[in-house]
Order: sequence, then structure tokens, then C-alpha cells
Amino acid sequence: MANALEVRGLTKRFGDLTALNRVDLAVPEGSVYGFLGPNGAGKTTMLRILTGLARADGGEARLLGHPPGSAQARSLTGFLPDVPAFYPWMRAEGFLQFAGGLFGIERAALEERVPKLLELVGLSRVDSRIGGYSRGMRQRLGIAQALVNAPRLLMLDEPTSALDPLGRKDVLEMIASLAGRTTVFFSTHILADVERVCDKVAILDHGSVVAESDIHSLKARYAAHRLELRVEGGAEGAGSAIGAAGGTGAASLIAALKGRPWVTKVEASSSEPGLVSAVVTDLARARREVPRIVADLGLGLERLESGEISLEEVFVELVGAGR
Amino acid sequence: MGGAGRFLRKEVSEHLHTWRLPVLGGVFLFFALTGPVLAMLTPALLRSVQSSQPGLVFQIPVPGWRDAYVQWIKNLSQIGAFVMILAAAGSVSGEVSKGTAVLVLTKPLSRFDFIVCKVVVFFGLVVAEVVLGTLVTQAVTLLVFGSAPWAAIWMPTIVWLVFAALLIAIATLMSSIAPTLAAAGLGLVAFFALSIAAMWGPAARFSPAGLTFALSRLLFGQPIALAWPLVTAAAATLAVTAAAALLFSRREL
Repeated sequence: MANALEVRGLTKRFGDLTALNRVDLAVPEGSVYGFLGPNGAGKTTMLRILTGLARADGGEARLLGHPPGSAQARSLTGFLPDVPAFYPWMRAEGFLQFAGGLFGIERAALEERVPKLLELVGLSRVDSRIGGYSRGMRQRLGIAQALVNAPRLLMLDEPTSALDPLGRKDVLEMIASLAGRTTVFFSTHILADVERVCDKVAILDHGSVVAESDIHSLKARYAAHRLELRVEGGAEGAGSAIGAAGGTGAASLIAALKGRPWVTKVEASSSEPGLVSAVVTDLARARREVPRIVADLGLGLERLESGEISLEEVFVELVGAGR
Repeated sequence: MGGAGRFLRKEVSEHLHTWRLPVLGGVFLFFALTGPVLAMLTPALLRSVQSSQPGLVFQIPVPGWRDAYVQWIKNLSQIGAFVMILAAAGSVSGEVSKGTAVLVLTKPLSRFDFIVCKVVVFFGLVVAEVVLGTLVTQAVTLLVFGSAPWAAIWMPTIVWLVFAALLIAIATLMSSIAPTLAAAGLGLVAFFALSIAAMWGPAARFSPAGLTFALSRLLFGQPIALAWPLVTAAAATLAVTAAAALLFSRREL
């Protein structure tokens, strides 16, 4: 599959600060690609370069084969900035007509397209001037204007950040509905959004991509599965002796699990006394060996549950290390 | 209609929907309405000062249409220019600081077209308002003084409009590279520099500064060579606009 967006060694510096450090990305055409990172990671800087608003100090990027900021790239893409700003004296319909006009779209085509876009973003019944809009309404209008040219590549900077839960759901559904037809590249720090709609994800931290993969591979590669265990007498041991050598119950179990090669992380649950939480790379082996380890310690196993690790945990694992 | 045409229409609408048209138009209209009346009342005002100060003697000529025209051109070339520079200074920087430029310039509208549209529409607005103001001045002058010849007011007004085009280009250039307040300050510095340069003979003869010097001579029907100042002002307007577009296209937003 061809790439709609390719970035090679992209670097951007602001004085001594390196905002982007040799970033490489490949966004397949038709995919929904999440660009994830904590605040200040460099996501907005990246989008500013891709839209031609800023220049890179090194490296190169191609949007549908065209350099960022070129007339061809701009005519094939749609963009929503993190805080979209409009002419307050205009109305939504007028702004979309104006935005479409900048793409050279004929008036007749716009008269057909604009009402559909307003309907899509839930602004079809709003006739007031944009100056009186809430932040959420501006965000919705921002999404509509980014779609006015039916772009092949849609770039969204924090598209759900100003929306209420219902608005967020609508926008995510809209993004998901574009999959296969339009390439969507969106930055966010809301992990649940990425997990919900993205095919692929890149995690940016301190200007560098620390991971790029599809979400399932990413989870498999970085953490695999979580186990939750409760043993008889675990509460008293865990409550008092986590980390203490020679403890009984949960503390003994934590000590026993720490040396196993298939355990990457084990700790007492902070939310539920007596509960031990472990991250394991080989779930089948863990299911076989944990009951035996518990028995060897002379404990009884009350509970053994496994679950898939969330993207949030992967994110914290990758990004938290540098903080 | 292409992207530039659509942006041009937006600029016109923006002037109509925001403070620029009422403020600039209001200022010019105020000058047009009050200029002839003030010219008529000035002798009476001076006489009242004279009567309150025994021993003070003014030689007060009888006011006429030329005094009304002098008032109009003086207001235009001083306060009018001042207000115009202040308004033009926010034309680009305002869009950058508010963030509207981002949505516009990530669409297929070049930054060159963005700047040129700004200058063209702003100048067009000033021309329309000044033409209206000149007609009103002429009409009020006719009412007050019974005579209002055409050439004596239109010649200096047209010359001032050529100068205004340069001032708008300069203010837009400053607005392309600096925040609004700084752009206004730099625009006013350029205006004062041109006004001062007009006092130096060679600059008055061969540069746009000569246009400010020419206004009073045209008002009084005195001969003056305008070719060089007009040509250099037009060339400078184009060059400054091109420089604004070039610098803006290199600027990160």
C-alpha cells in the first residue's frame, strides 16, 4: 500500500531546544493514524511543518508525493489546527463557502456539499455568527472546513480536545467512517480515542518517535498481558510488606515472581489491598506456572485473572521512563 | 472564481462587516462635512479672540472655497493618513495573532496573493471613501461659499491617493513582519520620515516624498513637476508590496 504521508529524519529546533529529532513516519493511504504524545512532545510542531506553516531544519516530508506547503499538497489535504480561529462576523455556512472557494470549488458544488457538512458536524440548525460559538461548536466547524475539499489526507490536531463526550463520540465515529477512503492523521494525547479508531499509532516523546506500529503489535511488543492475583492471606502481607524481604502472602508472591523471565513487572495493587498485579510476556506460561508457584509458597490461590494491557499502559511505559 | 478571487471578496466583506469601514469612512466624512464649515467660521473665531484681547490685531482675509479645500487636504494628509496607517497595520498581523491566517493559508491560497489582496482591497476602500469625502467636501463648499471648482480639489486628492497607496503598502509590510502595535509604530515612522524628506529639494523632486510637498502647490494652482514623484511612488508601492509578500512567505506561522 502506498504511503499518503512519509517523513524522513525530520528535525526542528527552537534555539537550544530540539522540538523534533530525526522523526521518521510512514502513514499508509486509507489508514487512520494516531500521533500520540504528551503535551510538549512536538505533535503540533510536526503538524505545522506538514502544513507548510513552519519549516524543518532537517529531513524531508512528502504528502501524497508533494512537499509540505506546496499548492498541490494543500489542495489535496484538509487541516484542523488545535484551536481553530474563524472570522467572527461570518456564519458557519458562509465560512464553509469561503473555505471551499479557496480550493476553487464551484459554487454549485458547494451549495450541495456545505449543507451536508453542516449536518455531519451538527451545525445545520445554527444560524448565529461564529463570534458567538462555544469552543466545541468552533471545533465542529473546524472539522467541517477541513473536509470541505473532500481531502485525500486529513490532518487533525487534537480534534476531540474541546468536545463534550457526545461530541467526541460523533467525531470519532466520523473519523472511523472515513477509513479506507481518506487517510486520517491525527494528533492527540487522549489514548482512548486512538485505541478506538486508529489502525496505526506513533508515540512521540521529547521530539522523538519512541514507537510506531499498529496498536495490537504495539501492545504485544511492549507489554502483552496483565495478570491480577489474589492469594490467601495476601491482604496482610501486601498491606505491610510490599518489597520487604521474607514477607508472607502477597509479598512472598511478588518476590517469587520477580525473578521469572516472562514477568516484566510485578507490584501490589494500590487500589485493592492484597491484590498483586503483574505484566507478563507469555500468558500461557504464566497461567501454567503461577498456580504452581503459589502452591510452592504454601499459599492458596483465590483469584487469577488475565486481561489485555491498555494502550495507556504502553504509553506510560514508553513515555514515563524519560520523566 | 479562484482562491485569490474568493479571498478578495472576503476582504471586501470584512471591511463592510467590521469597524474599518465605519471608522475610516466616518473620519473622512467628518472631515468632508466640517472642513468647509470650519473654513467659513475661522474668521469669526479669530475675530472673537481679537475682541477679547485689546491691542491684538489680525489681518483676516475673507474665506472662500480654497480655504475649505485646504482644510480637506490638510486633514487628509495628516489625521487621515494617521488613521489609515493604524488601520492597515493590523491587516496581516491581526489575522496571524487571531489564528485565522492558519486556516486560510493551509488552503491553496498563496501568501503572495494573501498580501496583494490585503493591499488592493484596503486601497480600494480608501479610494472609495476619499472619493465620497471629496464629493461631499465639494458639495458643502458649494453650499457654503457658492463656488467649488473641480480641478483645485481633485488634483491634490488624486496625488494624495497615490501617496496613500504607498503608505498602505508600507503599513502592510510592517504588519507582515511585526505585531500590530509595532507595525503601526513603524508605519508612522515611515510616514514622518517621508514628510520630513519632502523638505529636502532632491527628495521632493525625485522621490515619493515630493507628493506631500506637491499638495499645497496644486491647491493654489502653482506649477509643479510631478512625474518623478508619481512614478517613484508607484514603483515603491509595488516594490514594498512585493517585499511584504516575500517576507511574509518566509515567516513561520
